[in-house]
Amino acid sequence: MIVTRSWLEEWIDLKGISTEELLKTFNSIGLEVDRVKSYVIPQKIVFGKVLECVKHPDADKLNVCQVDIGSSIRQIVCGASNVRVGLNVVVATIGAVMPSGLVIKPVKLRGVESEGMLCSATEIGIENCQDGILEIDSSIGAYTIGQEVCTNRLFSDDLIEIELTANRGDCLSIRGVARDLSAAFDRGLHEKAFTDNEDRRIGIGRILSLTHEKNLNVNLRYKAIELQNLTIPLAVKLRLAQIDENRESDIESVMLYATHSSGVVLRAYNYGFFCADNETMAKVELQEDENGYACIVAEKKASTIGIMQEDASRVAYDEGTVLIEASYIPPEIISKQMSICKVPTGPMYYRTSRGSEPELNLGLSFCLTLIEGNSDSSIFGGNIDLSDVYSEKIITVSKSEIDAIIGAQIDKVKITKILQNLGFNTNKSQLDKFVISVPRFRHDIVNKQDIIEEIVRMVGIDNIPAKPFIFTEANRLEDDYFFYKKRRIYRHKAANSGFFESVHFIFDEKKILEKYGFVCTNEELELLNPIVSTLDTLRPTLLTGMLKAASQNAKNGYDSIRLFEVGSVFTPLREESLKMSLLFSGHREKDAINNSGKPAKVDFGFFVQKISDIVGTIELRNYKTKHTLSHPYQTAEIVVDAQVIGEVFRLHPDVQEAYGLDVTYICELDFSKLPYALKTAKKVSKYQASFRDLSIIMPKGMHYDKVKSVIAENASSEVINFYPVDKYSDASLGENMSLTLRFMLQSDEKTLEEEDISSSMESVLKALNSELGVGLR
Amino acid sequence: MKEWYDSIKKAQSVDKLEEIRVAIFGKKGVLAAEFARMKSASDEEKAQIAKDLNTHKSSLMNELTARKIVLQTLELQEKMQAEAIDVSLYSTTSQAGGLHPVMETMDRIVEYFSAMNFAVKTGNMVEDDFNNFEALNLPKYHPARDMQDTFYFKDEMLLRTHTSPVQIRTMMSTKPPIRMIAPGAVFRRDYDLTHTPMFHQVEGLLVDEEGKVSFANLKYILEDFLKYMFGDVEVRFRPSFFPFTEPSAEVDISCVFCKGKGCRVCSKTGWLEVLGCGIVDPNVFEAVKYENVSGYAFGLGVERFAMLIHQIGDLRALFEGDIKLLEQFQ
Repeated sequence: MIVTRSWLEEWIDLKGISTEELLKTFNSIGLEVDRVKSYVIPQKIVFGKVLECVKHPDADKLNVCQVDIGSSIRQIVCGASNVRVGLNVVVATIGAVMPSGLVIKPVKLRGVESEGMLCSATEIGIENCQDGILEIDSSIGAYTIGQEVCTNRLFSDDLIEIELTANRGDCLSIRGVARDLSAAFDRGLHEKAFTDNEDRRIGIGRILSLTHEKNLNVNLRYKAIELQNLTIPLAVKLRLAQIDENRESDIESVMLYATHSSGVVLRAYNYGFFCADNETMAKVELQEDENGYACIVAEKKASTIGIMQEDASRVAYDEGTVLIEASYIPPEIISKQMSICKVPTGPMYYRTSRGSEPELNLGLSFCLTLIEGNSDSSIFGGNIDLSDVYSEKIITVSKSEIDAIIGAQIDKVKITKILQNLGFNTNKSQLDKFVISVPRFRHDIVNKQDIIEEIVRMVGIDNIPAKPFIFTEANRLEDDYFFYKKRRIYRHKAANSGFFESVHFIFDEKKILEKYGFVCTNEELELLNPIVSTLDTLRPTLLTGMLKAASQNAKNGYDSIRLFEVGSVFTPLREESLKMSLLFSGHREKDAINNSGKPAKVDFGFFVQKISDIVGTIELRNYKTKHTLSHPYQTAEIVVDAQVIGEVFRLHPDVQEAYGLDVTYICELDFSKLPYALKTAKKVSKYQASFRDLSIIMPKGMHYDKVKSVIAENASSEVINFYPVDKYSDASLGENMSLTLRFMLQSDEKTLEEEDISSSMESVLKALNSELGVGLR
Repeated sequence: MKEWYDSIKKAQSVDKLEEIRVAIFGKKGVLAAEFARMKSASDEEKAQIAKDLNTHKSSLMNELTARKIVLQTLELQEKMQAEAIDVSLYSTTSQAGGLHPVMETMDRIVEYFSAMNFAVKTGNMVEDDFNNFEALNLPKYHPARDMQDTFYFKDEMLLRTHTSPVQIRTMMSTKPPIRMIAPGAVFRRDYDLTHTPMFHQVEGLLVDEEGKVSFANLKYILEDFLKYMFGDVEVRFRPSFFPFTEPSAEVDISCVFCKGKGCRVCSKTGWLEVLGCGIVDPNVFEAVKYENVSGYAFGLGVERFAMLIHQIGDLRALFEGDIKLLEQFQ
């Protein structure tokens, strides 16, 4: 919504209020200022009058004018086609510096002296107002020849664009905004007085009839006018240019100006559209159309009320009979219908759907007065009306309720004043109980809190003291919090282990996911309106997003890429769960002096160690993934405390190539299965631990898993821990390999003697031999 | 004997000193020879010679030990000198990873409200119409429910457009009082320079007895919170409109870039909009069947906070796992 200071001043006195204060007030009453523009017309640009105008002897398109500029009469050469004797104009005199930077000097144009310039609107910084030089008329208020243009309030105006919230249709007019200001400044709203001389007029009933079967919740009022010689006053042109609106015909421009001023939805109709052949009586019929909207029909549809006018019913002539319609339809009805059956909308729909001014006469009188005052038109007497049934909304609220919600004591007189200035009727209030009748233009006010909001706006939130809330303490650390905390702890661990946290959209590309063997959301549960085709499904995995990010970083020249994400994934039934993924690609570390610029690359063991640093002790088991991103021979499921928590694998060479990556390892873990319990300390032995290595010969194809489980089942209680430390194979070993295991032995009762250790080792060997046929090297 | 003192003094290495020690004190050393010579001397002389020799023996030993310490120190010095490095070659940067600025900002927000005794509540991203819209006083025909703004599924479920459904679900399942925040990802159908289809919010809700919760309370906590997040900023409340609160306000802070003077980021206004808040609309309480209660609610966009706090210019880069950006948050 665009307003200007001078336009507002037609309804409210803003004397003594600086523009800065005005802006501050707008913001504090909830009319957010989006843009401010001040029109500054340079000095030495004055009003002038063309006294003489003759063709330039040597140039067809130029005129030589004698122009009265108050202090003197100057000869000025002008190229505009609309220059003529008697015209009041804007003159840039010698020494004026134009907004473009041009300095006005005496010049000779094709041999003729010119001392100044007659200005167009654009030349003084006003766009899209009028072609040719500006033609000054009385609509800009009193002015004298020679007076500097910048002293006229219309030319030194401030334009303020307000971003209105969706509920404030009542402020979609200059008058509506002025009404809010009148409450803020406690200054009265100047209503315009319209005089209507009905006696001399032909009644509208002679030329127009309105028929309807049902009311359809519509308010309509028609006037008819015999249009003749309409000229749009400069002030109107100027303001329509300022709000960046223009219509094809003068009559529509005037309508628009009246609507923007008053808030009433106005339309002009081609009279002939409603007249049957050879008829002079226009027949307007109100009907419900096939989409459930109220519309105006003759033989064909003329308009859908509040939504759209058909081109055929518009006025494309300057003289003749014109029907003027003011309409109101409750915004909730129109919005509801729009959600049921969407139809194309015209420029008025925005206003209608947010609530236009229901007092139709405000707009009709405004526009007819404007037309009468600026044309030779005659207006038909009376009007044709249709009204809906409306019952007033009454809201009762006590002062204590108001004070409780605001959290401060607000003066009763002040409350009454605010409400009255906003157009609410509070006459039935008693003692501390406000009985408030809500004006129809405030369809957004439905309950006590709406009323309180009005008071808060006008009191100003800045004037409400901040107060801490007093409450009963309670333990509010619940499951969701602990889950959040677990997530935070794991994120910190991953970051400390060298990984960068990345966040990706939960959307991914179905085609790619399915190509790699992932199962996406079931078709009947799929997204209806994805934003782009590459984000057309809910992700079932974090892996593809991680690869995409890694790929982009590789393109950016990073040769050591370490990323992690903790985020939601979805099953085909759209069940949501949290996963954690880690990716390591390329170099283990930065190239630097300590690795001679040649850092080693990540490998399986290195990556698994990183996972373990974050998750704790993990056990890896051979595994085959359900998707095809993995290297089939370097894939494992990760087990913690006998529970599978996820998978880790080297990226398949084909995938690696497709994403333009160096050697890459990646894992995906079920976040809910990651260990998080409080730790319990185990009893530790006071006696020294002993270590013993055992090198066994086993077939190359045999998995360590087997060896491990045999040892675990058969080792004596002194074997605290064992793990592989070396593996070796050469030609002499053939299909076998040597694997060295390190055993840690310890007793709670004593320091182990050589024979205790030997006997423990022996029982391990014996079991390996009998169960797997594996022996010492 | 004098020459031996000299040679100890002149010895230049521990090895050389050892040779001298052997030459003096060894079985075939000079002292042994001198003591042997003593045998042929008279008893009287013997005593004198023995005394002299013993004096020499102990002072030579002292000399030797002292010299050894000097030489060892020198040798260690030399060895260490040989190990000298140019430390300036090793200036380096962290190889640690880092937290995502948006997630880290969310952590800080959660930290504040946890400390203020707010519960943390989370919920599913796939939601239904009632919890995301209807219960929040967003009737069926409200413009915010337009297909343009919301991601819908074929079975009429949707992706939550805010974390408010978590508040509705909490109110439906627990009795007042309620004091909670709901952090999490939300979704709107918008994708351009300043909008991403997914972003993060933290929303807060307080519900207590009727007449107890006021706008003044809301002002207090939000002013305090914003100063905790942004440091010494001015806070301004502007009345606004949200379907689920009444009265509603938007909250601005003085621009963190220009300190309120007006710059490109704040569109020359000196203010940055950072929060929406208000007193809970009675229709919301009606939807969750709460009676005789009052409450306040607020909501904020975490990306906006992170971008202002860390001066990040490009919203979309936040979702690309771009190490160029992330490594700045090690």
